[in-house]
Amino acid sequence: MAVSTPLSKPAHADTSYAPVTAHEAGHESYAERLRLNRMGMWLFFISEAFLFGALLATRFYLWGDTRPALDQNIGFIVTTVLLLSSISMYTADTAAEHGQWRAFSVACWVTMILGLVFFFGVVIFEWGLFPQFYKGHLTPWENHYGAVVFAMTGMHALHVISGIVLIFIMWRLARKKHFTTDKHWGIEAAAIYWHYVDVVWIFFYPALYLIGTAAHH
Amino acid sequence: MGHFRTGILIALALAVITVFEFWLAHVNSGPTFLMMIAALKAILVIWFFMHVKRLWSAEGAH
Repeated sequence: MAVSTPLSKPAHADTSYAPVTAHEAGHESYAERLRLNRMGMWLFFISEAFLFGALLATRFYLWGDTRPALDQNIGFIVTTVLLLSSISMYTADTAAEHGQWRAFSVACWVTMILGLVFFFGVVIFEWGLFPQFYKGHLTPWENHYGAVVFAMTGMHALHVISGIVLIFIMWRLARKKHFTTDKHWGIEAAAIYWHYVDVVWIFFYPALYLIGTAAHH
Repeated sequence: MGHFRTGILIALALAVITVFEFWLAHVNSGPTFLMMIAALKAILVIWFFMHVKRLWSAEGAH
């Protein structure tokens, strides 16, 4: 049975004006909320861009046309892993839009695992935190190369970890039937956050690994 | 599979550009061109994966 709720009508409306149903009114408010949520999310991204932009500016100011002799293979591999994780997150988001919840679940886990591979790739190989596996050649206090590498990869890694946590929360909520194909802002937000982390790395990768001549330090 | 096609095509484009970027850096290209390539990749991700156009879509749907 359709429940109709007469909402306020403009004074010039004629009496044949069809009342808006409660369902329609609810949908309208969700659409409005969705627009505001998206706007808020993008404003957050812009504010974050200042942070990452400042780190990039620091790199170009301090290093100029040089860079530390980072392992090119590691850089290329972790970049590829992060790109693959962006594809799996896109798959999760699209699967949720089409109600393919099993595909969503699998894609979420693939994204989280690839995110962890990226994180540990940076932590083990660039930071050298586990010298039993790989001995790193930079320390944050050694010189301006180490300081910038640790600042840039550290801030980015923090966002990778928070992205993984967000995706895990969305996966848990989806298991509890919290989302529908029409209403899944949480999944969309987690997905675009993850892609934003990818966008940041798209600029960090050439800045850290490709631009300039390798300096011996 | 139809609705995943765009994502796969963009991913392939990003992979090709990344390999090109890696190769270009090793034949000694300047920072400006490499950052322009990065900007192109970022635009692809922002437009197709982050759905930035939904910001000004009228219907407010996913």
